[in-house]
Amino acid sequence: MADLSWNPDEQLAGENLRGNFFGSLVLHAVVAATIAGLAYFQHRGQSWGENISTAGAIQATAVASIPLPPKQRELDTGVLTSEAPSPAPVTTKQQTIEAPKPDEIPIPEKKVKPVKQAPEPMPAPPKHPQPAPPQPTKATTGETAGIRIPQSSLQLKNGTASAMVQDRTFGSRFAYYVNIVNRTVAQNWYTQEADPRASLGKSAVVIFDIDRSGAPSNPRIATSSGSPSLDQSALRAVQRVEGFGPLPAGDHITVEYTFHYTQP
Amino acid sequence: MNNHPARPLSQRLSRPVGFIFTAFALLFLSHTPLHAQDWFKTETSSGVSNIRIAVADFKPTTADAGTLKQTFDTTLYSDLSNAGIFDIVSKSLLPQSTPGAPGEITLAQWGNAPTSAAMVAFGAFGTSGGRITVNGFLFDAKNTQFPQVLSKQYSEQANEDMARQIAHRFADEIIFRLGGGVPGIAETKIIYVKFGGGNKEIWAMDYDGANQHAITHLGTVSISPRISPDNNRIAFSSLGRDGFQIRMYSLLLNRMVNFPSAGGTNLSPAWSPNGHDVAFSSSRSGDPEIFIADSNGGGSRRITSFRGPDVSPVFNPKTGSQIAWISGRTGLPQLYVMDIDGSAVTRMTDGGYATSPSWSPNGQFVAFAWDRKYGPGAPGGQDIYVMEVATKRWIQLTHDIGRCDFPSWSPDGRHIVFANSPDGHAASTRIVSMLADGTGRRNLTGAGADMPNWSWK
Repeated sequence: MADLSWNPDEQLAGENLRGNFFGSLVLHAVVAATIAGLAYFQHRGQSWGENISTAGAIQATAVASIPLPPKQRELDTGVLTSEAPSPAPVTTKQQTIEAPKPDEIPIPEKKVKPVKQAPEPMPAPPKHPQPAPPQPTKATTGETAGIRIPQSSLQLKNGTASAMVQDRTFGSRFAYYVNIVNRTVAQNWYTQEADPRASLGKSAVVIFDIDRSGAPSNPRIATSSGSPSLDQSALRAVQRVEGFGPLPAGDHITVEYTFHYTQP
Repeated sequence: MNNHPARPLSQRLSRPVGFIFTAFALLFLSHTPLHAQDWFKTETSSGVSNIRIAVADFKPTTADAGTLKQTFDTTLYSDLSNAGIFDIVSKSLLPQSTPGAPGEITLAQWGNAPTSAAMVAFGAFGTSGGRITVNGFLFDAKNTQFPQVLSKQYSEQANEDMARQIAHRFADEIIFRLGGGVPGIAETKIIYVKFGGGNKEIWAMDYDGANQHAITHLGTVSISPRISPDNNRIAFSSLGRDGFQIRMYSLLLNRMVNFPSAGGTNLSPAWSPNGHDVAFSSSRSGDPEIFIADSNGGGSRRITSFRGPDVSPVFNPKTGSQIAWISGRTGLPQLYVMDIDGSAVTRMTDGGYATSPSWSPNGQFVAFAWDRKYGPGAPGGQDIYVMEVATKRWIQLTHDIGRCDFPSWSPDGRHIVFANSPDGHAASTRIVSMLADGTGRRNLTGAGADMPNWSWK
């Protein structure tokens, strides 16, 4: 239910209305005067287009910089666009040039080339016994000779990874499989896990078995590097691998894997 | 006044409808190889290169091998380069000789510069009496003593399809041997939605985009196809008399098989990895919620009960005991993970607009489409992201190629196929495949194809 009864407080509010009205007018006038005064004092002596670096002028841009094709010039001399008929071309009379007299042009003299003399053949120098070239003291590397030993080594950015299969026949017969083992473990070796100061120049040797299905199992540290973080990263590299693919022969092989950490 | 169950369909759908139609297509994952190798690495500290393999043109043993041999050579080359695990020797660097048998190959020619191959695939190709005979070999170019890694013999009917099929099989053998025991994907299929003439039908193609053909001819709108783990059935959602219902097509019988209808809108079916259950979203009880039913539609039970739509379920293909799905309980659709009994609900995305999850075959990652800054005037767009489920860390796979949606993992976990619309229009959507690190992008179809789903094997 709405309250429609007379409220004596409303009378009091109405009496005060006049004072509030004039107060509001004065306040607005003061605010407006303040804004105008501030604007006047702030920008006194400046105007747009002034010849100073911070003037308010805007940069005018030439219309020619609009990337549109240039407008075609109206050609009033053209035959098809012009109302006026084009003038007939002026024909000039052709002049005949007289032939020169036979003795006016000089004939150049023929130059005679000097006769070339072939050099006389010299007798060949007598042959001396030459000293034999020194034989390389290094053994030939795997680039030419192919993989003979059951070991595969990979140069990484942060070290060297090499896998060796303890079963020598398997390693030489299925060298490609040893390569895959080496490559897969190396791809899963995150060298950031090893502490660079403690493990620089050190090697960890991990031994693990690969079963018939190709899954690695039982990784253990054979030779500790002396840096626990490098040992841990080496073990994790083997543990990250889920499989190398089924063994081409046999029911398991044992792999000795060396992780060597160097500075990149 | 509680009229919740009796609200009209339009009202029930009014809020989630836009969301559903962009979110239902939940991409179903591919199969689970036991020794799935995770090739998805963001760290490149090791600096190990891939195996460098040379693919020789096969030696024609009969004069009429011509075009079939060309198809075979091209397919084998592209299969091995699409595998993503090899460094393929360019054809221009190959030696001139085409060895057809182990006795005819000079390994030094292939192992030395400029070919510098670690492996050589070569062989002989002949057609006689309406049959193709192929002898394929894989040799280790660095091992002069025992070079042979693989030798295979194939004999099939002489036609283009079989020439391509033999190349797929031989490529898969090579990938299986050299790729850590993960089966290759050259023989897998991709099913997808093809639109034309106002209808959307289910189509299928090979993994490389060849052999595109129609599966259904229903003359209506069929969306979100999902192939079963045994490749025998396709579940999809189709618009019929009762609205969108789950339908089932048998690839063995080549006809529709029964799947019971229910009330409301039923969308985005997903197969469990054992093939016994199908999860889908249904609005039969009001909000769209996740249901799980048998593969023949019986015993359906509700898994979620939240306000707001729940759509696009997908099973963890490794364990089969978890579901990733899209829920709109907090407003915009977000990616969630729960157990299949509805417990252990975990929110995965922290904002934006996430749709269409697809769980990787090894269970480690979820790929999904995400618009991280959703709203008018927001930068960026809808792109494919991959998130590691355990850590919730994610990376973005596509950049600046237009609207991307509906990712689906390949069975080997090395590839992702998705739908891409370069200009944002639905009509220009096409199917694109890429490696799971976002490289090697290839268009598989032209415009007019959407919602790809990679088969499980």
